[in-house]
Amino acid sequence: MQKDKDTNIDTSNSLLAIKGLSKSFGDNLVLDNISLAFEKGKTTVIIGQSGCGKTVLIKHLIGLLRPSDGSVYFKGERIDDLSEHKLQKIRTNFGFLFQGGALFDSLSVYENIIFPIQQHHKIKNYEKLEEIVKTKLTMVGMDGYQGYNPAELSGGQKKRVALARAIALSPEIILYDEPTTGLDPIRSDVINELILKLQKTLNITSIVVTHDMKSAYKIADRIIMLHNGRVVVDGRPEEIKNHSYPVVQQFINGQISEKDLKTIQLSSIGEEVAKLQ
Amino acid sequence: MSDNRKRSMLEQFGGSVITGINHCGEFSRFHANAIITSLQAFFIPKTYPLIWTQMLAIGVRSVPVVCITGCFVGMVLAVQAYDQLAGLGLEEHLGVLINISVVKELGPVLTAVMLAGRVGGALTAELGTMNVTEQISAVRSMGTDPIRYLVSPRILACLLLTPFLIIYADFMGIIGGYVISVLHFGINNKAYWDFSASGIEMWDISIGIIKGFFFGAAIAGVSCYKGFNCKEGAAGVGQACTEAFVGSFIFILVIDFALAVVFKGIYASLWPIRSLL
Repeated sequence: MQKDKDTNIDTSNSLLAIKGLSKSFGDNLVLDNISLAFEKGKTTVIIGQSGCGKTVLIKHLIGLLRPSDGSVYFKGERIDDLSEHKLQKIRTNFGFLFQGGALFDSLSVYENIIFPIQQHHKIKNYEKLEEIVKTKLTMVGMDGYQGYNPAELSGGQKKRVALARAIALSPEIILYDEPTTGLDPIRSDVINELILKLQKTLNITSIVVTHDMKSAYKIADRIIMLHNGRVVVDGRPEEIKNHSYPVVQQFINGQISEKDLKTIQLSSIGEEVAKLQ
Repeated sequence: MSDNRKRSMLEQFGGSVITGINHCGEFSRFHANAIITSLQAFFIPKTYPLIWTQMLAIGVRSVPVVCITGCFVGMVLAVQAYDQLAGLGLEEHLGVLINISVVKELGPVLTAVMLAGRVGGALTAELGTMNVTEQISAVRSMGTDPIRYLVSPRILACLLLTPFLIIYADFMGIIGGYVISVLHFGINNKAYWDFSASGIEMWDISIGIIKGFFFGAAIAGVSCYKGFNCKEGAAGVGQACTEAFVGSFIFILVIDFALAVVFKGIYASLWPIRSLL
């Protein structure tokens, strides 16, 4: 068994693990020595303020970004140092739901969903392919939209089609980058229910990045909070709710810090503009 | 103080040099990868539909604008050169002057410049928008090489069709020159074509067309690179388009000069078998 003495991360028995991961962009340190292991079939939600490195973290899990330091493991195999060519095969085990959906503008909904299938399989039976697309779209409640272009869909519909595309290759792991951002509360709940349904019916391992606490409590088996590039809390949703750390309470209750409040109260909006005249 | 300032200037200079070298390295790696992948794609029937689609957008839809460019180049040359030659009583030699200029230099170069604006701008804007909306990351996340899926078809379409577009431009340039010289200035029809035929060899026409392969590859290569490395936002896409056009234009001129030297050397070495050419 391969175990890290400092972090107790079991990389060989975890489906997905990161060890001592750090990432800098120039002088800006975004992730600072993060070690985590993700359990199979569970939904892990990563929370934290905007710009704290949540998206950067999940992009490392699929090799879209390379770490400045540390390592990433998938089924015990180190993947962060693999070539792009070798990573391509590993990425077929993952589905990635991008924040804006990232549907291909030039392709229809049908073509978007068959894209990953076409890339990795020789298609001989197109009737069967249509059936697969229908099944995937039915799972996300979008059957009948095969002929639409992404530009004709609403934000929520785009995310649901993007989710159908993410599950097209029946992946073991789905990474969700802020799946409910920009959606109304009802549409957000639809996405939450879809995440739960996929986990229950397909036993998919989900890693969700969000700052929507309602969504986090609903779908999470485990919540991790990032702050200033480090993991500050890691536990079950109930543990997070009752956590004593002020940063956690401020975040989950959506409260401004006293320092920021004072700055806003002392700032004189309008007077600066008046001085210019 | 002055020492500090000197060091900071030195640091700035050093930083610029390192950034420049990094860009050169990235540019070279991107192109090496694109060339290898394009050669592979040429023998993979699965990529042919992607190449046809790009051929339609890049080649077929450029025919009208290239024909108009060629035609006006021929007409302008006739108008500008007629007075000088008529003054010497050599107006019947106008055909050879127009046609050799068109087939050897102006046809290929102006067609390439026109394509750099029309096709290069469109490629950079399309790929740049795909980059900022994470569609290129989506291609990678689904285990597909974006160079193979997005860059190779564009490079192959541009490389294969630019020589044909040069043939169209040459043809229209010859027609334009003929219309002004013979129909407008009243130069003897037979003398015009006889002098043209005696002054232009198959070699002259061939080198103009061969240049097209290099120009096409340069336009698509530079435009795709700029699209892939486009900064975020509308301004980023705009800047990438401008840089792509300027970069392609400079590459066209440099390649034109280099090929002129190379072809001259080849022609000199083939002089003994000139009649066969």
